[in-house]
Amino acid sequence: MRIVVGIKWVPNTQAVRFDPKTGTLIRQGVPAIVNPHDFPAVELALRLRDAYGGEVIAVSMAPPPAIQGLEHVIGMGVDRAVLLTDRVFAGADTLATSYVLYHGIRRIEKEIGKVDVAVFGQETIDSSTAHIGAQVASWLGWPYVYYVKNAKLDGDRLVVTRQLEDAVEEIAVELPAVISVAMRALKPRPVTLKNKMRAKVEKPIIVWSNKDLGLDPRCVGLKGSPTIVAKVTYLPEVPRKKLVYKPKDPKDAARWILKNLFLDEKTGPLLRKVLWGDSGA
Amino acid sequence: MSITGKFDVVVVGAGPAGSAAAYILAKAGFKVLVVERGRGAGSKELFGGKVYAQPLRDIWPDLDKSAPIHRWVTKERFSLVVGERVLTVEYSSPRPVGFTTYLPELAKWMADKAVEAGALLIDEVRVDEIVVKDGRVIGVRSGGDLVEADVVVDAEGVNRLLLEKLGLVERLDPKHIALGVKEVLRTGKGVIEEKLGLGKDEGMAWMVAGDITAGIPGGGFIYTMKDMISIGLVLHVGKAVEAAEKGLLREHVSLLLEKFRLHPYFKRIWGEADIMEYGGHLTIEGGLGLVPKKLAINGLVVVGDAAGLLLNTGYTVRGVDFAATSGRLAAEAIIEAFNNGGPSEENLRVYEDKLKSSFVWRELVRHRGIERVMSDPLFFTKLPRLLIGVMKRLYEADYEEPTILDAFIESTSEEDISLARLLFKLGSVVGKL
Ligand SMILES: Cc1cc2nc3c(=O)[nH]c(=O)nc-3n(C[C@H](O)[C@H](O)[C@H](O)COP(=O)(O)OP(=O)(O)OC[C@H]3O[C@@H](n4cnc5c(N)ncnc54)[C@H](O)[C@@H]3O)c2cc1C
Repeated sequence: MRIVVGIKWVPNTQAVRFDPKTGTLIRQGVPAIVNPHDFPAVELALRLRDAYGGEVIAVSMAPPPAIQGLEHVIGMGVDRAVLLTDRVFAGADTLATSYVLYHGIRRIEKEIGKVDVAVFGQETIDSSTAHIGAQVASWLGWPYVYYVKNAKLDGDRLVVTRQLEDAVEEIAVELPAVISVAMRALKPRPVTLKNKMRAKVEKPIIVWSNKDLGLDPRCVGLKGSPTIVAKVTYLPEVPRKKLVYKPKDPKDAARWILKNLFLDEKTGPLLRKVLWGDSGA
Repeated sequence: MSITGKFDVVVVGAGPAGSAAAYILAKAGFKVLVVERGRGAGSKELFGGKVYAQPLRDIWPDLDKSAPIHRWVTKERFSLVVGERVLTVEYSSPRPVGFTTYLPELAKWMADKAVEAGALLIDEVRVDEIVVKDGRVIGVRSGGDLVEADVVVDAEGVNRLLLEKLGLVERLDPKHIALGVKEVLRTGKGVIEEKLGLGKDEGMAWMVAGDITAGIPGGGFIYTMKDMISIGLVLHVGKAVEAAEKGLLREHVSLLLEKFRLHPYFKRIWGEADIMEYGGHLTIEGGLGLVPKKLAINGLVVVGDAAGLLLNTGYTVRGVDFAATSGRLAAEAIIEAFNNGGPSEENLRVYEDKLKSSFVWRELVRHRGIERVMSDPLFFTKLPRLLIGVMKRLYEADYEEPTILDAFIESTSEEDISLARLLFKLGSVVGKL
């Protein structure tokens, strides 16, 4: 079977800082990474391939540095990758992104061969919309199953286990289909030396620009994105006092914390008010 | 290049030592593979801050133009600290020999150079074993993958687990290693120039000794970056463990570092600057104690920290330039070995000869025993107290100050130091500093 797995190249949100003055993200110098929630999707794709044969193709719409991320998943065992990259794709919302990915998959079918399953991660760490899988499925007109924990082939259907809040569900879908794998559902395999060497030496990464896809520039990138971020508010950074105290025992610790909270000009009145309805005078 | 064939050389670790070796070998047309466990070269690195430039220029002549140099060190300071009293010596020179940088940046630059020269760098992959067959090293193993090579260059750094597995070195003895912890403080650019009296691209290297290490042999460092300041402590691991076991050391090292950052004398420089990074790394305590008996065997050479090549005199640290130089010498020896019939143990041991007639070895021998000096309480605890005591007597008199000699005598008797013993010890040490 031929499996396509979607990869997003995201800023490492754990390393992103806020500029309290301008209220914007300081992305400069922040290393980009493969969206961590994509790894269980890669793992499922690889397991399906290992069980039933065929190939796994990673696909990503991203600027050229994302090649590093694609090399990473090839290092895990993905067979090859397609990078959809073009200036006109920049600034895309989920609609415009899924549109490009959809055409990417169509082109893979034309150039390489029929795709049986498209696998995505549940969501991304930098925007958390969880739209992409569903939208790509809509464009393709394929069935879509999400919160997937595992999958196996049964004849020409895919039997999919879904992780729900209080139940585990098993359903069968006709192929081709799109599935989104639940966060942390599967432990991703590590990068191996030979696979990573193959990624670097054989460079099994195809790059397609909009010249290859030929999409209407009004339907992609910023222009093709009807979503408007009206406003972003950041929680202001709280200036910490950075006090350090080495308590003798838990009681001592509690006493010290309370004392400091009471003495603090901000938390003191608040605490008194909560405890005794005192206005703090 | 194919991934199935054998390599001429596999280098383990893309630090300064590994990348220098890889660069020279690749430039000479060798088929080189570098395996690095971190994500990208440099990602696992942490050091203090100053690098000696000339040994690096010998390898990369375009260093000054293209390396990530933050500031050229035109001022060196050394301080002794006892409580809030501080004695500082400053040396200012128009001829800087070293520059400040972040090691992750510099190591990445070095690795990029090796890749440009044709080496294949594979990151995010750990080597699990150096593979030996019929008495010679034949390659490396990572997980289930074996990659064969005529020569393996072990540049794995101070925590040399592969060499240990190979039986070439003993388990790392805490007595020979130190723990470094470091914070990077965002001060802004103007602050560094203003507070430390530096010109635009001028930098400072500042070593600190005294009670900031809570009685554990070691010291502090301060280095100026472009618009940040790196500060840190280096603590003798063996003695720190002893002190902790005896209950003399109760605080976590991060708290010791915090105290250093909050020390009023030093804090004045960076104020409430944000802490951008916190990290730790092992390092070599110094001396020749960690040098393996053999630096080359059949099919293997050992370079950099893994070979125990680091000098810490207390007023300066040389690790990066030693590592890179040993990498260069190993590469040159490998090239010669190939020209002389192959990488037999005999041919590879030319590397040892080269190393032993290099400045690296001469420096290490010249300062041999320095680590014993630096872990002698007389020097890292009593001497600062003595000198601060002298200063206190000279400068804190309301009416009458003693003569320098009297101040010395009073101070030695207060610290319970025998002047004769001190002079004797000093005499035996100056030759090593
Ligand atoms: C706190 C501190 C302060 C210092 N200050 C200075 C200073 O101011 N100036 C100076 O010149 N030196 C300083 N040093 C020393 C200097 O950092 C080292 O001497 C130098 O980095 C050694 O280079 P190396 O290439 O031998 O090893 P490293 O730089 O340690 O590189 C080893 C590399 O090998 C990789 N590796 C290890 N094992 C494996 C494996 N099994 N598989 C794959 N990859 C592996 C590691 O990830 C790493 O990238 C300091 C060190 C410390 C800790």
